Amino acid sequence: MSAQSASRKSGSSLAALSSRPWIWSWTAAALAFSATLWLTSGRGAGELAYAALSFGAFAAIVGLGQMLVITLGPGNIDLSVPATMTLAATLALRAMGTEPGTAFYGLAIALATGLGVGMANYALIFLLRLPPIIATLAASLIYQSIAIWSNRGLRIKPPEGLADFSTGRFLHIPNVAWIALGLAILLWILLERMTWGRWLLATGQNLRAARLAGVPVEAVRAATYITVALFASLAGFLLASFSGGAALNMGAEYLLMSIAVVVIGGCSVAGGDSNVPGVWGAALFMFLVVSMLNSYGTGAGVRLVLTGSIIIAIVIAASTRRSKQ
Amino acid sequence: MTKFLLGVAAIALVAGAAQAEDTSGKRIALSNNYAGNSWRQAMLQSWEEVATKAVADGVVAAADAYTTSENQATEQAAQIQNMILQGYDAIVMNSASPTALNGAVKEACDAGITVVSFDGVVTEPCAWRIAVDFQQMGREQVDYLATRIPDGGNLLEIRGLAGVFVDDEISAGIHDGVAKHDQFKIVGSVHGDWAQDVAQKAVAGILPSLPEIVGVVTQGGDGYGAAQAFKAAGRDMPLIVLGNRQDEMQWWSDAHAESGYETMSLSIAPGVASLAFWVAQQILSGEEVPKDLTVPFLTVTQDTLAEALATTPAGSVANVSYGMEDAKEVIASSK
Repeated sequence: MSAQSASRKSGSSLAALSSRPWIWSWTAAALAFSATLWLTSGRGAGELAYAALSFGAFAAIVGLGQMLVITLGPGNIDLSVPATMTLAATLALRAMGTEPGTAFYGLAIALATGLGVGMANYALIFLLRLPPIIATLAASLIYQSIAIWSNRGLRIKPPEGLADFSTGRFLHIPNVAWIALGLAILLWILLERMTWGRWLLATGQNLRAARLAGVPVEAVRAATYITVALFASLAGFLLASFSGGAALNMGAEYLLMSIAVVVIGGCSVAGGDSNVPGVWGAALFMFLVVSMLNSYGTGAGVRLVLTGSIIIAIVIAASTRRSKQ
Repeated sequence: MTKFLLGVAAIALVAGAAQAEDTSGKRIALSNNYAGNSWRQAMLQSWEEVATKAVADGVVAAADAYTTSENQATEQAAQIQNMILQGYDAIVMNSASPTALNGAVKEACDAGITVVSFDGVVTEPCAWRIAVDFQQMGREQVDYLATRIPDGGNLLEIRGLAGVFVDDEISAGIHDGVAKHDQFKIVGSVHGDWAQDVAQKAVAGILPSLPEIVGVVTQGGDGYGAAQAFKAAGRDMPLIVLGNRQDEMQWWSDAHAESGYETMSLSIAPGVASLAFWVAQQILSGEEVPKDLTVPFLTVTQDTLAEALATTPAGSVANVSYGMEDAKEVIASSK
């Protein structure tokens, strides 16, 4: 009797678990991780996990920012993420000029750049009434051009202390992963436990209803567009410090990446539903799946087809579960 | 004194006669498809330096550079059509695609415009091509590894951007080289997109599944990232072939000072744009120029490392600027 109820209970908790959209990205990440280790018969597990946490951290930071914007509802997206990363990193690294002890000064420059970009994006959307997809794409050409003009593509090294910090670890976890984890927890509290998060979700679910209910809709939108730019500039700053300097094409792969991790992470593309742990799982998965396919020696064509198919499969799995809820 | 002046005049006259046609009224345009990396920035700077001087010296009337914003063949085709309407005498281009721009290039040729493609060349027969033997670039890397590691071993290949002609060519050369030196075996291959951070990420992901690696064959712009990934994984540093970027050469120089690390570095010099400029000028002056020219790549060895580092600005890429004489030499050697 008691055994029966226990099994029923575990069955229902399994069902409850599988109904959580974030479980799918974590399952996929775990599968990709195991598949790679199966090939090496378990060798290099720590090494792979460490690399996944390091590189997943950058995708997680930009993904979390993009998640907030997508949560704002249909049509909301920030396509200037790559250009913002490049611009913030270029300006910050140039300002620091490899001088030791300038890390916080550089960080301030990067975040100030993010703040400026976020305000400019929102100004275009609000004042000129441009659709966000057009506004941020057009503005990103300007940001990229400023980055080119400001430094003509010269790769300036980060100060040594900053480079050591961004490639370093604390308690066996990469420092950059700690930062991304901290931001994730902060966002989770904001979204789940604070009024501001509730306002954001309400705005995303129904803008008109939210406005009628007294939510300061435009303030929420402004704050969100500024936050995504701040996250992108922080990711750019860390990535440039991590990889030995800012390059003009450093943000390129983070456009699709930032959107993919949001979708795979189980957030609703239609907005109004965000999922912080799912984004982290998806960020790890995006690194691990490429590593897995590389380790199995698949060619570039097959790899892209498989990556695409796996992403579609996860999105379908996560969204059918949600609709059954 | 009069005799001397006469002599000078005579020399000037002879020089003028050798140059069949005066190009001082001609206008040349650069059509460039991409500006978003340090190599392209150095290329644009090379063009600017040579072009500004040539215009100031009255060799040509104008030499303007135009870059498309989105690296799209359609956008570059529209740009070339604009150049035809603007009445340029020659278009020098780095093409977004070897075939997709053939239509626009043909239109330009039909309008009597000289089209010279370089680096990213076009297959349209009416255009000139200044190409690099990318396959040779791949083969030379393996040849070098064979001299350094005669016993052979496992190699990791870092490729460029999937689907781009240059990536296929260099990779074909590398595989050719490995077939010749069969003591080597490529045990892993990743795409680094010619970017240090992408290469670093891809290498970090595949390293745990790889056996001991003795050498890394690359395509340029990816060697430093690979080195970072090996360092982070705590592995022995393999022999990484580099691609002339200043940060790579600095790292090499530091490693040499520390542990006697030796390697080689090779890439096309961004100054190939200045060579293309002079080739276009030579064609406009009526010179017979073969349609297919080959430009040598720039190789840095342990002996030339210090010099290359000294002349390369921090964060840029090793470069040489070509002059009119170099262009004449390349043309003569291809005839």
